[in-house]
Amino acid sequence: MKKAVLFLSILLFLSSYALATELEYFKVYRPHDGMSADQIMEIEYHIKYTKFAKDASFGGKAYFVDKSGFVREKETFRKRITLGRKSDDIAYKDLVIFISPQVKGMGTLTWTYMDAKRQPDSWIWLPSLKRIRKISSANSDDSFLGADFTVEDILLRRFEDETYTLLRTENFGGYLCEFDKKTYYQGRPCFVIECKPKRSPWYYAKRILWVDKNTGAGIYEEKYDATGRKFMTLFKNFEIFNVDGKAYPVQTIIEGKDLRTGHRTTIINTDIKLDQGLSEEEFTQRTLMMSRW
Amino acid sequence: MRKILTFFIGGVLFLAQAVSAGEFSYSGYLKNELSLGLETEQLTKFKNIFQISGQYVFNDNFVAFVTAKYWYDSVYDWYERYDPAQHYMGHIQRNDWLRDCYLDYMNGPWFLRLGKQQVSWGQADGIAILDRVNPVDLSEYWLPDAVDLRIPLWMANINYSPKLNSNLQLLIIPDFEQSTAAPPSAPFTFRSYKLFMDFKKFWEMPPIPVIKPFYGVLNTDIYYPSKKPEHTKIGVQWQDRISDWDYTLNYLYGYDYLARTYLDSMQVIPPVGPPWYPTLIRNYSRRFKLVQMVGGSLNHTFTRQGPLKGITFRADAAVYMNEPTYYGDASTGASYGVNRWDNVFWLIGLDRYIFTKWLVSFQFAQYIMQDAKPGIDNYQTLNSYTNGAQDQVENIFSLKISTHFMNDKLKPEVLWSFTDDNQGRVSPKINYEIRDNLVFTLGFHYFYGNVQDSNGQFRDCNQVYTMLKFSF
Repeated sequence: MKKAVLFLSILLFLSSYALATELEYFKVYRPHDGMSADQIMEIEYHIKYTKFAKDASFGGKAYFVDKSGFVREKETFRKRITLGRKSDDIAYKDLVIFISPQVKGMGTLTWTYMDAKRQPDSWIWLPSLKRIRKISSANSDDSFLGADFTVEDILLRRFEDETYTLLRTENFGGYLCEFDKKTYYQGRPCFVIECKPKRSPWYYAKRILWVDKNTGAGIYEEKYDATGRKFMTLFKNFEIFNVDGKAYPVQTIIEGKDLRTGHRTTIINTDIKLDQGLSEEEFTQRTLMMSRW
Repeated sequence: MRKILTFFIGGVLFLAQAVSAGEFSYSGYLKNELSLGLETEQLTKFKNIFQISGQYVFNDNFVAFVTAKYWYDSVYDWYERYDPAQHYMGHIQRNDWLRDCYLDYMNGPWFLRLGKQQVSWGQADGIAILDRVNPVDLSEYWLPDAVDLRIPLWMANINYSPKLNSNLQLLIIPDFEQSTAAPPSAPFTFRSYKLFMDFKKFWEMPPIPVIKPFYGVLNTDIYYPSKKPEHTKIGVQWQDRISDWDYTLNYLYGYDYLARTYLDSMQVIPPVGPPWYPTLIRNYSRRFKLVQMVGGSLNHTFTRQGPLKGITFRADAAVYMNEPTYYGDASTGASYGVNRWDNVFWLIGLDRYIFTKWLVSFQFAQYIMQDAKPGIDNYQTLNSYTNGAQDQVENIFSLKISTHFMNDKLKPEVLWSFTDDNQGRVSPKINYEIRDNLVFTLGFHYFYGNVQDSNGQFRDCNQVYTMLKFSF
């Protein structure tokens, strides 16, 4: 009997691991009751990095608001092509062009790899040098372009970086977005998952993440430090885009708050286009040199 | 007049139509640069700059881009000691106002950029190893941004990508401009220039018994490369990736942008009457020489697990064939001639973030001359900036540390560049973003070393500076 239980446990572990590591690119997955925390989180990451779509492009406007209410703005245009290509390990490539006056024309190209332990490769086009420069990726715990979320929050955190525990399912209490003063996701059924970083010590001790049961998207999270104090919140609004009969959940609002400084950052994604048939040729260093505003 | 008016009205209408069609966009800035010399306790710069760029997208294949710039430095009006430099340093020169004027054509693997432009090669920061396609304006030494240092040229920049992530670039540059330096009396006049001008002044002063028993005439002519098709500069760059390593192979052939001074002849005219002093005439010419550069660059970020993870490795290397090199007496700074040698310049750079948000960037470079001696006893090869002694192997280092605070509003940075001759420059600065489009910079340039060395020659030019830039 013990052997049978052990065998079943191993089978269950392997099957969940298989699901956790083999979500196929260009497919849309939805979570459902009965899934493990790992299975839900694998879907959450699949959605976060738009692995369901072959490509995406959108305009982005970031608002940096300090405690006194003073607002700074940055505007970008982004493109992503998803490759999920095992031959050269490339998961996706991102091109970001900055449109704000101070850095107008600056562009970055980032290649992210399928191997979760690999750092991305990044290049930058600096108008002040008129040159493409290979750059080191910022550290995971550094702020993302001065925002109230980290590089890891937006670009680098992978499924393999944390361990997950399903705490409960509940109806989300709602999030009042400070940018547009609207309340989002009130009463939305969610999985509540505790995510603990494998790296220790790390800049957070755990995240509590609310995952939308309908879509699998992580809509709200709270970060806690080692003393158990909540120090950062991150909200994401997703909208469903129907493309060729497939329903893609895509981030339209990201709002992060640093509870220690009272500073917040809101990013609004607009003009979202998916599966336009972008060519990989548009994600090369040469494209950076040809960057348009 | 009627033609100009018609052209102007047509231009305005065209722009208005383009703007309304949403195909035209523009950006630019207003900037004030102020420097205070610590030794003189006087302003060394009060420069107001206006730059505007326009981009017109005709369609997916054609885009036009123009940048115009105007500046005026008022300190050259305020202080008499700058009078000799006023004409050159006080306001924008000749056609320098046009910084970009090109048309882009993109179609599949082809990318053409035709017009006045800058092209940058290589991976080195602040050290021009492969970055020699355009001449440079060193009137403020190497302190300005590279985009302001380079002098744009009219050229055809033809690119073809035979496969993904590769690019073959051909540059055809019929235009020629010489690299420029600060005139005498400017804050950053090169010592070699000062020495030459001092010598000229001495040579042409009236005779002094025993000390200078002659009348002197010193003629200097400059000979630019004639505008012939065969004098067109040619550049080729092949760019590709092997595994995760980016590399380029570079070749540049054409006239060097820096003129070298040659003593062509000396004449003696016997005295024809009292006070019986002869007249000595020295005829100098400044000439540009054909040189070739062969080189390449390499870069790679260690992305996989291991001790090197997160490090970006950069490298440039170049051989300058037939590079003109001065020789003479370094102790007096007198140049006696020019050798043509094959010299090598190479660099490696390492960048890495440490402690979350501190970016450390280190570079090591070596400039290796073909020979230590010009072949003439007691003469030395000379540093062209200072006419000081130039080592056969110059070891050059730079260390830059930068970070950010307050959600990227405050960005401190310090650059230390130095050589093994105990000379260098330390340049700390802080950028503070007052508003989205308004940035204030406070910085300091500290030069140290022997006056015969590149940085040491400016050891009395230490300065505090500020910049206020409004972008739109």
